[in-house]
Parts: sequence; C-alpha cells; structure tokens
Amino acid sequence: MLTRADLAKYPFLNEASDYIKELGISIDDIASPDFSPVLERAEKRLEEALSKGRVSNEFGNENAEILSFPVSNLILSLTGEERAQRRFALAEAKRAYELLRQESPEKLDYIARTTFGWKLNKIDAQPGKRFYDFGISLADYLRNSVHLKDPKWKLPNRILDHGLVYATREELARLLEEEVRTKIVDRSSRLSGEIPKPLLPKVERTRGLITKWLGVPSHYELPKVPSPEAMPPCVRHLIDNLAEGKNVQHMGRFTLASFLVNIGAGEEDIVKAFKPASDFSERMTRYQVEHIAGKRGGRTKYTCPMCTTLKTHGVCYKPDDICSTIRNPLSYYKSKARILTGKGPKREPS
Amino acid sequence: MNQAEQVIRQKFQQYYLDPKRQLDPPLNPSEREYGFLLFSGKFMVRHRSFKDPLSLLTAVRDLVPSHVYFSTAYYREPTAPMEEKGWTGADLVFDIDADHLNTPCKPDHDSWKCKACGTTGNGGAPKLCPKCKNDRLEEQTWLCDRCLQEAKEETAKLLEMLYTDLGIDNEATRLFFSGHRGYHVHVYSKQTSQLGEEERREIADYLLAQGLDPQLHELEETSVGGTKLAEGPLIGQPGWRGRIVAGIYDILGSEMDQIGLTSTQVHALKSWDREDLLRKPFWNSAKGVGISTWKTLVTKAVEKKSAKIDTVVTTDIHRLIRMSGTLNGHTGLLAMKVPEERLDEFDPFTEPLAFQGQMKVKVKESPGFRLGEERFGPYHDETVQLPSTAAMLLLCKHRAEPIA
Ligand code: SF4
Ligand SMILES: [Zn+2]
Ligand SMILES: [Zn+2]
Repeated sequence: MLTRADLAKYPFLNEASDYIKELGISIDDIASPDFSPVLERAEKRLEEALSKGRVSNEFGNENAEILSFPVSNLILSLTGEERAQRRFALAEAKRAYELLRQESPEKLDYIARTTFGWKLNKIDAQPGKRFYDFGISLADYLRNSVHLKDPKWKLPNRILDHGLVYATREELARLLEEEVRTKIVDRSSRLSGEIPKPLLPKVERTRGLITKWLGVPSHYELPKVPSPEAMPPCVRHLIDNLAEGKNVQHMGRFTLASFLVNIGAGEEDIVKAFKPASDFSERMTRYQVEHIAGKRGGRTKYTCPMCTTLKTHGVCYKPDDICSTIRNPLSYYKSKARILTGKGPKREPS
Repeated sequence: MNQAEQVIRQKFQQYYLDPKRQLDPPLNPSEREYGFLLFSGKFMVRHRSFKDPLSLLTAVRDLVPSHVYFSTAYYREPTAPMEEKGWTGADLVFDIDADHLNTPCKPDHDSWKCKACGTTGNGGAPKLCPKCKNDRLEEQTWLCDRCLQEAKEETAKLLEMLYTDLGIDNEATRLFFSGHRGYHVHVYSKQTSQLGEEERREIADYLLAQGLDPQLHELEETSVGGTKLAEGPLIGQPGWRGRIVAGIYDILGSEMDQIGLTSTQVHALKSWDREDLLRKPFWNSAKGVGISTWKTLVTKAVEKKSAKIDTVVTTDIHRLIRMSGTLNGHTGLLAMKVPEERLDEFDPFTEPLAFQGQMKVKVKESPGFRLGEERFGPYHDETVQLPSTAAMLLLCKHRAEPIA
C-alpha cells in the first residue's frame, strides 16, 4: 500500500520504523560521512520547527528524509526540553496534515488503521449539503477532537450515528494531525539516557537554538514577586474561604500551601494565610509549610496538584478561560502573570 | 448516633442479616474500590476491596452502613491511597436525578434553608442564597410520583440516544433505580472504559445538547433570486439532525403558545398541517416564519429532546456510585436493577420496598405520599402507626422521630 515516497512524507508511520530497522543502521554510523545528508536534514527539521513552527518538505533524498526524522527526535529528547519537543511535534504534525489532506480516502483509511489503530468505516453518506467519506468510531474521534477548540468539533455539533462520527476527508486529516502530534510527543518522552558521542555537538547546538527561539526554560519563568492578581480561581477561593474562617479540607490546604511555596511566597505570608482558619495551629502550619517546601522530612519540594486531581477533590472552583489552556494552577499563574506584565502569552503559533 | 439513626440502623441490620440476602455486586468486583458511609458520625470507610460477593456481604452485615458505594473505576490496587491506586479504566455512568429537573411540583414538596442567614424558600435550592449570597444551603427534598415519572422519561431519552447515536450495545448497559429520586445507567465496554474526563464531558454535552449550534447542523438562510429561503435538517437524518425535527414536530403539536412566538407566527405555524413537516422543503412550508423563529423553535426542540443527566457524575473518573441491592439511607428504599425493557412499567414506589411489619412514629411534617397501593399523609405533628416501609421513609427523610 505504501511506497518509499509515502514513508518520506510520513516518517512517523510504523512502516517507516520497520524500513529503518531493515536498513540495519546503528548510532555509530551517524558519524560516517555517508550520513551527513541525514544529519543536515535532521538539524534543519529542528531549526525550522523551533524558529517558525513549520517544517518544509525535501523529497529529493527520500532516505535522508525518512532517517532524519528519528534523528531529530533523538537529538531533541537528549536536550530534555519538553517545550521544544512539543513544538517540534506540532510542526511535524502540521507538515503531515498538509500532505494528508491531499491523500486518497483509501490511503487515509489505511494510515488511520495501521499506525493509529483506529476503527473507522467508509460511509460515503450525504445527509445534507456535505459529503462524508468516513464514520470514525466515537472513542477515536473524541481522543483527538477534545484538543480542538473550534465549535465544529464539539460532539453535539457532529453527526453521531450508531457510534460513528461522520467526517469529511479533510476533517479526518485534521484529526490525524492530532494523532501524529501525540505520537511524536510520546515517542520523544520515551527516549533518554547517555548522549552518544557523535551527537554531543548537535545536542549542544540544539540547546542553543531552543534558548534562542523559546527563551529560558519555563520552570524558572515564574514572576519574581508573588502577584495575587495572577492566582487561579481555585487558589483565590481557598484564600477567601480561610479568610472567612470557613473550614478547608486537607486537599485544599495542601494545594494552597504548595502553590504558595512554589510561587516563592515567604513562609510568614503563607502562615498568615492560614491564620484565620478556625482550627489554626501556628506550629502545625509552620511544620507543614516547611515540609512542603522541602526543608523537612524527605527534602523534596512538593509541587502543586494537577487540575484533574483538584477537580476530583472539589477544589477546582469556577474555572475560567485561562483554565482551559492549562493543567496545573502553577501554569495558570505563569500565563496570567505574563498577560498582566504585558509580555503576552507565549503560545504555540497556530 | 441519634435515636432515629439507631432505629434505622437496626432495621437495616435485620434486612442485611436475612440468610437469603444477596447483594448485586458490580462487574469485575475485585478491581474496584468500595466505600461505606456509616451511621456513626457520618464516617466514610473507603479504599476497601473484596475478592468475592460473600466477603462483601459479610462486611456490609458487619458495618451496617447507611449507604454502600463502589468505584466506577478499575484499579490495579484498589486499597492503595488515591494517587497510587493505578487507574486502569472506568465504567461510563449516567445519573438522572430529580434534583436536576425542573418539575412544577417541587415548591409543593421541597424547601431550602440558608445555613448562614436563615433565609428559607420553597422548591429546589438556588445556587446562592438570594439574601446573603452564601452557597451553604440546606435542602429538604421529597420523592413524588411526578418527579420520578419525569426522571423516568429523561432516562428513556438517555437510553435511546445511547443505543442509536452512541451505538452502545444494550448488552453492555445496566439500568438501576437509585432508591431515591432517580436512575443510574452504567455502560461497561472496552472502548468507553478508557475515555478520559474531557472525552466524557463531550459525551455529556452531546446528551444535553450543550453548545449545539443549529447552523452547524445546516440550519441556514439562503437567498434565491431575492427571496429568502430557510434550509435545515430533515426528519430521519441521524443524530441530532433528525431529533431536532422530531422535537419541533412535538412542540407544534402541543405547547406552541408558550414558546415566546408572536401571535402572527403562532398563527402561521398553526395554519398548516403538521404532516407537512415530514415532507421536503419543510423549513419553507410556513410563510412568514423566518430563520430567527426557526432558531427559537430549535432551541425548544433541543431542550425537549435532550437527556438531563448530571454532568459531574459522568465526567468524574474516580467516582463512587451506589451499589444495587443495598438500602439507600436517604429513604430506606432498595437501590435495584431495572431491566431496560421494564423501565416503563417499573414502579419505584412498590418494587424497592424492603421492610415488613409496623412501626409507630411521631411525624413532624410530611407531604402526602404513596407506597404500593396505599396512600399516606400529609401529616402534621402527629403520632401514627404505619407499615415499616412508610415509617422508615419518614425517619430517613428526617420527617419523623421514633417512638420507643
Ligand atoms: S482549572 Fe485548575 S487552575 Fe483553574 S480553577 Fe480549576 S484547579 Fe484551579
Ligand atoms: Zn443566606
Ligand atoms: Zn415532585
């Protein structure tokens, strides 16, 4: 079904990995001069993805095109920079989308099934004005559509018929783009370890590119001075509740304390936040805060729980627009602070 | 434990100790977490797990909980603390409860009180106290025929959509009466068990038609040679498209005057045969009815056809949910399985009755109600001798005190 030209277009496919295995190339070969077109192309992929959020196609040398993809992925994983991995995955996925949307229904169907394990039917139905090539199984549809913001992807706005979501060819390609992005991210997060000698300079150079295009690593980007306006609704609610002397459950307390510790609030300020609580004990609170800050016990600094956990425990409170773009209250704080300081949110270009 | 709770617990204990008693444990019982709410101190025993139905029954006989729950989720280690349980999947569950329905009878049997300022009112509790804007509101609810009938209708709509739209096999669903004011539907299937919270939210939104935009279902106005023509979905089309049309059909048959149209529009719509709806250029068959009127009608149609599920229950993938075959501490009624084909005829005031004998109670205040063939109340500050099921309902609902 697939030719080598297809593998060059879609180097993330299972068939592409098999093809590379058959070539029997090992990491040491990378240093050989034969390999320089691959390395060059790998670096170009990275540079384009990081600088423009796009990757162009170079089908002149199919083997280089196929081989350079896992090499870029490897280099990027070795930098350990998640932001850059996400950006690269997005750029590669967009590149794939532009090609996928021009493919025949048969090829799309094949790729969706074999590489991504989708269940889908060729339906050729036209219930209104539009013609739908595919019915995609609900689970496969949802796994990808939940990332898409346009209302047309919302399930109530789709035709859902006996477990199949109707989709045009173009829409199928767009959903596959999401699948490609997730696959690349997963794949790069699984690679890690010692940096092989021949790649060392490439990894260093890529680190430089990342700093150049994406700025300093985001973990250290929290605003210097704690800024209450940037706190997410859940945290504000917790502070208000404590201030009113209401009882706050353990999960709520832990969230607030770990949040404040992580944004760099001073111990005195944190203790003060808990003071109005009906069952306040200064000694206990201080002890817990020090524990969370990593000054006691295991000496690991605790991070703030994820939003999903907070939703489960009823700590999440009136999530707003920013909430829908983040997964942890600390990221909320980061984005909001950026907006407030006028630096503007650094979003993935769309 | 107060006196009423002691009496309730005793009755519950007798019920569970019956040698013929069997519980109705969920599928894959050993991969679930169980939770028991105890009478003493309203304390929740969580993170328990059981290898088999018998050890579960033994625990229930031992603890005599007021409520018995199990996790909709499957875990590798059900007894570990939450973060370490190892989630492997969760049933897709739906909860339909009169609490979330807008039944006209609520002011007659429900009331609320603000814990902060003492304001009270009739009907379901508002989100915030209208006087002091506090959210600590206490509700006193009642079960009534009408509310449960509406819950049943919502459940029927839910099941229909699960089968025809979501394509869920009816072998994979189970329907339960909650023992209080509603019904639960559980879906057990490989595909749905892996869905995350956001995906489940989409499904909930679909069933509620939340965010449905008629334009995306091709309801639009086109202009042909200067004349405006409305176009839209047709009956028989799959999913919400056909359902929108069916909903409009229902509305035109009944409550057209109450839907906020002008009298000319109502007149225009009434002047033609409803059967026209099923014929082709349906959306243009009534003169003077333009796109904005159609949009209003679609909104009403969608409201009528959507299934009023509780989104929170469906999206929570770590939820504890009531186990069928156990007593509901809010009522003393049995939570029980209802075969789907029997939903229509199922009588929540007859089949879930669990106690025999008579009891004497002092009733503070109670609306009238029916259990089985018998009608009771309304009561007001009186001592009465009642069948145990009725007395237990009043005790569990805090409407009465036991008499030694
Ligand atoms: S979504 Fe996250 S940040 Fe927003 S309110 Fe909920 S818990 Fe807080
Ligand atoms: Zn109040
Ligand atoms: Zn009612």
